[in-house]
Amino acid sequence: MIKLEEVTKVYRMGTEEVRALDGVTLWVDEGEMLVIMGPSGSGKSTLLHIMGCLDRPTGGKVFIDGEDISRLSDAQLARLRNSTIGFVFQQFNLLPRMTAFGNIELPLIYAGIPRKERIRRVKTLLKRFELENRARHKPGQLSGGQQQRVAIARALANEPKMILADEPTGNLDTASGKTVIENLVRLNKEGITVIVVTHDPEVASKGHRIIYLRDGRIVGEEVK
Amino acid sequence: MILEMIKAAIFSILSNKLRTFLSMLGITIGVAAVIAVVSIGQGAGESIKERISSLGSNILFVVPGKIGGVGGRIAQAVGDVLNEDDAVKIKTYCPSVSHVTPVLQRQYNVQHGDVNTISSIIGVYPEVFTMLNLEVEQGRTFDNNDNGRRVCIIGYGVKEELFGEKDPLGESLYIVTPAGKQKFTVVGVLKPAGQLLMFRPDEAIILPFKTAKNRIFHTKQVSLLMVQVEEEELTAQAINELDAYLFAKFKDENMYNIISQEIILSTVNETMKILNLTLGGIAGISLLVGGIGIMNIMLVSVTERTREIGVRKALGATNFHVLLQFLVESVAITVIGGIMGIVLGAVAGKLIGNIMELSVQVTPGVVLVAVGVSTMVGLFFGVFPAYKASRLSPVEALRYE
Repeated sequence: MIKLEEVTKVYRMGTEEVRALDGVTLWVDEGEMLVIMGPSGSGKSTLLHIMGCLDRPTGGKVFIDGEDISRLSDAQLARLRNSTIGFVFQQFNLLPRMTAFGNIELPLIYAGIPRKERIRRVKTLLKRFELENRARHKPGQLSGGQQQRVAIARALANEPKMILADEPTGNLDTASGKTVIENLVRLNKEGITVIVVTHDPEVASKGHRIIYLRDGRIVGEEVK
Repeated sequence: MILEMIKAAIFSILSNKLRTFLSMLGITIGVAAVIAVVSIGQGAGESIKERISSLGSNILFVVPGKIGGVGGRIAQAVGDVLNEDDAVKIKTYCPSVSHVTPVLQRQYNVQHGDVNTISSIIGVYPEVFTMLNLEVEQGRTFDNNDNGRRVCIIGYGVKEELFGEKDPLGESLYIVTPAGKQKFTVVGVLKPAGQLLMFRPDEAIILPFKTAKNRIFHTKQVSLLMVQVEEEELTAQAINELDAYLFAKFKDENMYNIISQEIILSTVNETMKILNLTLGGIAGISLLVGGIGIMNIMLVSVTERTREIGVRKALGATNFHVLLQFLVESVAITVIGGIMGIVLGAVAGKLIGNIMELSVQVTPGVVLVAVGVSTMVGLFFGVFPAYKASRLSPVEALRYE
């Protein structure tokens, strides 16, 4: 599904070079639930962004479904994100001026799906995440848990092969966090590859495999 | 897709009403200025052309010196060149000319009882009535028997002003000259005639030529000669004949000028063109300023919405989608602003037209140009902010706080 070969990512902060990733080699299987853990600044988010085609590596190679993404144009990467990858963020990252419905509909618009079909799919998703009577609410009118459910619904809109979640429970109370974890586990059982960056041992315990990152390197791996 | 973009743009515009409205205002005022200026200009041009055409294309004027010449003093100097004798000679030497009259014309104070007004005193031959198609509403015109007699024909406006409801026929009025008051008897009132280029018969008092010369003007020189050509087709030939006579007399083509309707029309057209371009240009500058306002607000908007751009990209928006989104937004602002400007400009144009008594027309052409221009402004000033937005890296945009 995803293969990383000796991936490095170097940022330039003024005159100083920061090696966010320093030779990461990693394989993620289809249908796997992978947890990435590590202290702040260890490169977890950078790794997730690169696997999600939001960023390009400085060195090394990234393959998604066997395709070398360094060969793809920005537009092709955008289409890849749109069709095969769903993102869930710690900050939810819903568009504040749009309703829950509008937020979930957005990836479908970029996929060029006709209106009727969009409405049908969004309604199904709203129902699935028990948000039917929140469809016309804006993010500001929703609780954290509800917002994160909208975000997951949005990530699923185009029926992606994988979900990438960056600290999905980081901004939630325990109960809401639990619901989000349950949702992710359920999606994984349905066959979607789930990759989660987290500090939360509760989340980590659900993973098939945990990798530990420190200073941009994989320093440990735990398979269950 | 485009439809979705337009919806999203309108949505975004509506969610920032005040700010969008203010930046829209620049475009609205710019377009309104263009529309108002152009349509008033067209209206004014039409009405001037109408006045000139109402003279008939077979009327020519011979005036001293060069039109718009080298300044007052020279014009004054060459002003002393035409006299009554020239009128008689032109009639003799120019076969294409059917009628000629010398014209004396100047403004004087006029009194009747305790009412007084300023009006244009014109001394001419009786031919003038047929030449300019002037008809009387009351009384009669004068003929050659009246030459030298103290009679006058008054314009409709003069009648209203001096006599009001009273019957002016047989009444007397006084023309106040520096040499003293002169008394005249009204024998006719002209029908309302509007503006006839060099004359406003409505505001004029017409005297037999000799009367005017001896009682009022006390000079051999005349202001101009008015010439009627036998038939319209002979106008060019008549101009040649006049030119031959006048050049033979003066030996200097700068001493006189022959003016035809055509020449005036083309001069007016030129002048109107320059005037319209100048005014249009000034109005155009306000459009430019409006456009810069739009660019500014779009740049602010892009910065504010950096995170939104990141999210959209994460969800699969391509650079092109983001570019289009912001471009559609700026074009939507300018087009809405432009439409408001058209309405405002049309209303302003009509109002000013009413005050200035012009028939102001807002032609579809002007509206089309205005919409086109405001779209272009939106595109032109929207491209840079939109491009900037589209080039944002998704990761950096997502990190933006």
